[in-house]
Amino acid sequence: MTTTSLISIAVLALLVFWAVGAYNRLVRLKNIIANAFGQIDVQLKRRYDLIPNLVEAAKKYLSHERETLEAVITARNQAKNASDAVRSRPANAQAVTTLAAAEQALTGSLGGLFALSEAYPELKADETIQGLSEELTSTENKVTFARQAFNDAVLDYNNAQGQFPAVLVAKLFSFTPSAMLQATESADERKAVRVQL
Amino acid sequence: MRFFEQQRQARAQTLRLLLLFGLTLLALVLAINAALALTWRLVAWQDAASVIYPAYFFHINTGMTLLFVLGGWWIESSNLAGGGVQLAQRVGARPAKVLGPLSRLGSEDAEQKFCNIVSELAIAASIKPPTAMVLDQVDSINAFACGWDDDRNDVVVAVTQGALDCLTRDELQGLVAHEFSHIKEGDMRLNMRLAGMVSGLEMIFNLGRTMCEANDDGHRSFLALPGFAIKATGSLGWLAGRLLTAAIARQREYLADARAVQFTRSKDGLGGVLRKALGQSPDLTTLHPSVQHMLLLDPLQSNRWFATHPPLAERIRRIYGRPMSALQTDDLLPTRPDVIF
Repeated sequence: MTTTSLISIAVLALLVFWAVGAYNRLVRLKNIIANAFGQIDVQLKRRYDLIPNLVEAAKKYLSHERETLEAVITARNQAKNASDAVRSRPANAQAVTTLAAAEQALTGSLGGLFALSEAYPELKADETIQGLSEELTSTENKVTFARQAFNDAVLDYNNAQGQFPAVLVAKLFSFTPSAMLQATESADERKAVRVQL
Repeated sequence: MRFFEQQRQARAQTLRLLLLFGLTLLALVLAINAALALTWRLVAWQDAASVIYPAYFFHINTGMTLLFVLGGWWIESSNLAGGGVQLAQRVGARPAKVLGPLSRLGSEDAEQKFCNIVSELAIAASIKPPTAMVLDQVDSINAFACGWDDDRNDVVVAVTQGALDCLTRDELQGLVAHEFSHIKEGDMRLNMRLAGMVSGLEMIFNLGRTMCEANDDGHRSFLALPGFAIKATGSLGWLAGRLLTAAIARQREYLADARAVQFTRSKDGLGGVLRKALGQSPDLTTLHPSVQHMLLLDPLQSNRWFATHPPLAERIRRIYGRPMSALQTDDLLPTRPDVIF
């Protein structure tokens, strides 16, 4: 065997090793995106579960504010229904838009409840309420962080698959760029995160 | 703070320093070989042209040097195999009290909040939630992470009682996010291995020193000459190793600060922690040396070249983009509950 053929075999082997590495890296990054998306769903569901508990505990102190409490519950039910619809038809743009609107309404009504609570000191002092509001704060944070982790993961993946020379492997195995969650929703979500009054 | 840009810089800087570390080792091997060859020539009293070195002279020199340095790496690595929880307990941490979801929460019960923050940030950082622990003997603001992020799920993030008492929820979040970066980036592993190699370099220096030492009669053995050569090169290598390790550790701190801002998307969280730490009176309680370099803040504030942490003022400047004043923790002691209602 000549030196030339030896060298070309070595170069070819290196190329194959590199391509396998690049491919595996892209697969790994794509799986992280899927996982991050799953987290958002889990945390939204947890938020829906927490809200009735909070409203139930607040009822004792807010007997004169029935309307506000009912508005929260209605908004929560609508948001939950919308998210169920999205889960069954994830690719449906209409369902996603409905969910975004329902989430916005829920955020608004929760904000109303928190503003109201300022006027009721004994409500703020209640231990159950404090525990629940900490839970809700934490869950709101988790929703935000899950969205953020999703976008960060998409950024990593898009960077990895869009840059030369990995873009060659990406093209060959049809890794396409992934879309980020839009800021329009999260801007409204951010209001909800400020649970501390 | 342009956190992605700062992360890129810190990573590139780390890589350059690691390369320099590798070059230092190479230089050390060459220097030891050269020094021993020189002493051999002096001992053998031969012409430069006709020196005959013993068989495998250079192989053995190189092998022994690498054995010390890589042996140090290996010893430190196996020391840590004991696991994060054990190490944290040895330092005096205990598991944080978790009350469980939806239980009653006293307004002062920060530990539940801390556990919640840990699970929130695990989502932000896309890692498995580590074990939350509390150093309840320490009243100053500090935190550390230890253990390796592998499948044994044995990683610990611990905060001091002082941090639980003086920090707001957002600040505690920034503090934990900083430690999460150390976990996610594998800084523990890096630090331990570098420290191991540095102790290997120290062993080379010590070997040389022992060979140089005069015995009880005041006579030096024939080993003194090569001993002196080993001592001189070993001390240079040790010094360079310590300087480089500290420089790398400082870059990892900047990286962790930038990461914390990325995870929390808030400058005021970690920024507030650092400003309060700047304002707190220096605390002389030192923690166990094995976690000293993993702390958020280095209480010793050692010499600039050997410090494992950059100066607080510089870290604050990088986070805010401009210098900020210190915060007094005493003014901020909670007069109102942080939680709503």
